[in-house]
Amino acid sequence: MPDSTVYMEAMGAAVIVSTVWLLAMSAVRTLSNRPSLRLSCLGALAGGLVVGYGMLPLNLAWPPRNGLERLLTLVIPAALLVELVAGCQRVPTAIAWLLRLSLCLSLPRILLHDSVYLSGSDRVWDVWQASGVLTICGLMVWGMWISLACLSDRSPGVSVPLALPMATVCSGVTVMLAGYVKGGAAAFPMAAVLLATTLAAACVSKRAGQTHNPGLAPIIAIGVVGLFGLVFIGRFFGEVSTGRALGLLLAPHLCWTTECLGLRYQKPWLVGPLRLLLVAIPLIAVLVLAKRDFDREMAPLLANLRQPTDHHQCEGGTESTMRAASRSQRY
Amino acid sequence: MRQMFSIGAMTLVAGMLIQGTGDSCSAADEYDYDLVHSSVSFKARHLGISWIHGRFNEVSGKFSLDRTDPSKSTFALTIKTASVDTANKARDAHLRQPDYFDTKQYPTIEFRSTSTKAIKGGYQVTGDFTMHGTTKKITLVLMGGKEHDFKKVKRVAFSTELSVKRSDYGFDKNAIGPIGDQALIIIDCEGVRK
Repeated sequence: MPDSTVYMEAMGAAVIVSTVWLLAMSAVRTLSNRPSLRLSCLGALAGGLVVGYGMLPLNLAWPPRNGLERLLTLVIPAALLVELVAGCQRVPTAIAWLLRLSLCLSLPRILLHDSVYLSGSDRVWDVWQASGVLTICGLMVWGMWISLACLSDRSPGVSVPLALPMATVCSGVTVMLAGYVKGGAAAFPMAAVLLATTLAAACVSKRAGQTHNPGLAPIIAIGVVGLFGLVFIGRFFGEVSTGRALGLLLAPHLCWTTECLGLRYQKPWLVGPLRLLLVAIPLIAVLVLAKRDFDREMAPLLANLRQPTDHHQCEGGTESTMRAASRSQRY
Repeated sequence: MRQMFSIGAMTLVAGMLIQGTGDSCSAADEYDYDLVHSSVSFKARHLGISWIHGRFNEVSGKFSLDRTDPSKSTFALTIKTASVDTANKARDAHLRQPDYFDTKQYPTIEFRSTSTKAIKGGYQVTGDFTMHGTTKKITLVLMGGKEHDFKKVKRVAFSTELSVKRSDYGFDKNAIGPIGDQALIIIDCEGVRK
């Protein structure tokens, strides 16, 4: 059953670890050069995720058994590794993007491994369908990655990496409302780590007098891969519809709107919030629709409960008691 | 004359061989799971005070019964997890989710026998039980096995109950919530002879 206290604790711990790591690294050694700040950001992301997920009762197994476990134990570490290699000065940009492409193309295959979509006597897709879907999904996540990385290079600031945790949290709630509680819960530590690392990296970068924050690349990498992975498992293993999944994935790209409208040279304090506002609009729409479906789905079950809850109220029962009762009534 | 005798002898030997082979084939009778007259149902505790009942609507299986040598009998059953039915659509949809049966990742629950022993009134069958991606060796006591001829179709039936702890099969302990960890699976199956 969802326990908001556990999620808050996991998020808090993830935020503390990421922030403290980055600030400590900046105190111990000067992070004025690009590779060291980038490396510190990778450490902050990795540390925050390990602690955050360690505090969530996800019961991850090795070898991973399902899509969520493969996302957290294979895909995210692989993304961190790719960013570690891509950050090396000797690695050409083209090679770095080829590494990212290979990760993106293998990502859907890893997440759907051994599922009804790809294996078994009653497999849903034939070989061609499977190849088509996996390739399209792989190219889609690569496109998302390129798009947000380009935008971040073009107009440095925290709005692009902040759009990712926004979308990640909304994805988590949507996946949860669609009935996949554990999958949705995995979004919270990730969003917390992305938020904390973005803000801490921005502080460190500003203090070092850098005009361009090199720590943004790994944040965007983990943000894009994490967001895509969560929405993907919500779509293919949970009950999230394709439209909502696309809405969640494409929402951060509305940050481009300010570039298109010629607002690029406006003051950053105006452009940044405007971007986040634009991103928030489809996210809120998706959440409203998900909540509506959740209420509609639960209505027949809750209808049987009305009498007992009224009774609870009469006897001075708290709202939490009613919520707990409504949850248990489902079963 | 000699040629006729040798042809006759060969025919006799061949006939005996064929008869012998036929006998060994028919020693183990093959049966298909009859979905119409069988059921795989389950019940689990709700809040520790009552039972919730459900069933799986899509089940297939086959078994072969060797009456002369029961140890050669085999049993196999495949249950489609997506066919879970607890008489509540919303709950069924939730039970198909990854927090519970995870039907997209684990589409079936399977039992494959590895050894069979005849007991009074049935068979004791040991085999591999796979649920939620975890396989464990279990022993079922199948009661029944009496053959019945109905409209020239031979049928045989078995009943068994199996108690499983969901947490032993990789189900998330945190998702167990108001439903108890222990579940009782009740199998009543009728086989139609092929």
